[in-house]
Amino acid sequence: MARQNGSQEDYVRPIRRMAVGALVLVLLVLFLLWRIDSPRAERFRAQIVDAIVPNMEWALVPVTETINLVRGFQSYAALQRQNRELRDELQRMKAWKEAALQLEQENAKLLDLNKVRLDPALTVVTGQVVADSGSPFRQSVLLNVGAARDGIKDGWAVTDGLGLVGRISGVGRNSSRVLLLTDSASRVPVTIQPSGQRGLLAGDNSALPVLDFIEAPEEVRPGDRVVSSGDGGVFPAGLLVGSVVLARDGRLRLRLTADYERLEFLRVLRNQPGETIAPPEGLVGPLLPSPSIALSETDEPADG
Amino acid sequence: MAERGAGIWWYRTLFLALAAAVAFVQMLPLSVGPGQLPGPDILMLLAFSWVIMRPDYLPVMMIALVFLLADLLFMRPIGLWAALVVLATEFLRVRSNALRDTTFLLEWLLAAAVITAVFVANALILTILGVTQPGLGLTLIGLIATVLAYPLVVILAGRAIGIRKVVPGEVDHLGHRQ
Repeated sequence: MARQNGSQEDYVRPIRRMAVGALVLVLLVLFLLWRIDSPRAERFRAQIVDAIVPNMEWALVPVTETINLVRGFQSYAALQRQNRELRDELQRMKAWKEAALQLEQENAKLLDLNKVRLDPALTVVTGQVVADSGSPFRQSVLLNVGAARDGIKDGWAVTDGLGLVGRISGVGRNSSRVLLLTDSASRVPVTIQPSGQRGLLAGDNSALPVLDFIEAPEEVRPGDRVVSSGDGGVFPAGLLVGSVVLARDGRLRLRLTADYERLEFLRVLRNQPGETIAPPEGLVGPLLPSPSIALSETDEPADG
Repeated sequence: MAERGAGIWWYRTLFLALAAAVAFVQMLPLSVGPGQLPGPDILMLLAFSWVIMRPDYLPVMMIALVFLLADLLFMRPIGLWAALVVLATEFLRVRSNALRDTTFLLEWLLAAAVITAVFVANALILTILGVTQPGLGLTLIGLIATVLAYPLVVILAGRAIGIRKVVPGEVDHLGHRQ
């Protein structure tokens, strides 16, 4: 290019250099804008991704399935053994299922006796994983459900049916991004059972996220169950997250219940924000008709 | 540049197709989850090797757009990686003439130096601006993998397709010197 025509390059070269400089400047300004106003830039990114990736879904999904099929053939020899093991496991699981059914019935009876109302707004949308972040440093996947049809909103919890997987962070019309718990930007408030300690689950790009800010770490033992605490209204409380392990570096970490090796179909929990009760007197007792009647009934017990 | 014929546009389209294929494969949700070692940055190697072999096939605007889109898709900080790659390809573009009649080893060394510079500049700028980054070890592994994969990309995405360095004295179909 540079040796093309001697007469031409005399004026082409400086102009070209200026154009390249301007181009680099534009890119760097974009980068600074991203750094300064990250939420807006990420919304812009979500729109672009939403415009591109759903168009590729027809190819992404079959290719993934085909490759998984080929991998399946490779492990054909192991299938027989696996089958036997699974039968054994199924046998054991049947016993557990029986126990679970009985417990469920017992639980239902107890709930009925207590007149507990479970949150009816907690319903799920199931989406399929169509793409991942494409980078080993970002732990996120893209689902094929979005704002237009399914009403997905930022911040909703995502599970794989058993354990918490992450949260929605970035919604497009027909796609949404799930920030996995293992991403270094992920922070989730959790409760450790049975000791009831509160903590913060912080992803650090490893398979076992760190449990941070525990008040009394000596009360936490490896193997303890960890559920989401619902603090700060981030997630509904009581979603199973995983179990505590003591890592080689001496820190308390979490083995996630969700099977991160097989993230295929994920459930997004619709999480309506809890009702806020504004006046404090509304909390105590039923509405009273007027102060004069209320005064005359003060000798009665409040709960009837 | 436009009078060089349709061949150049065929190669430009080919580059776009290759870039799209690389991005597609990288986005397949085959192995989701942490604990994977970072692989080589194939897209960047593609741009570097093509720009060294045939700078006229890759206009700077195309490189900028492809890498900006890659930044958006791969959840990287928007614009920084694209800017660094544009600077690096401009550096290589200017030297592509000198690299015509050197050995491949020298070309590889130069490419390795440029790749290292891009990685270091990226890490430095992100550190200065306080953006959370993956650990030093992971970045180093990514850098080494990228440098080692360079000959492979040159062979598979360059020579195999029929892209060769311009031979001194070569003319195009209209008789212009390249």
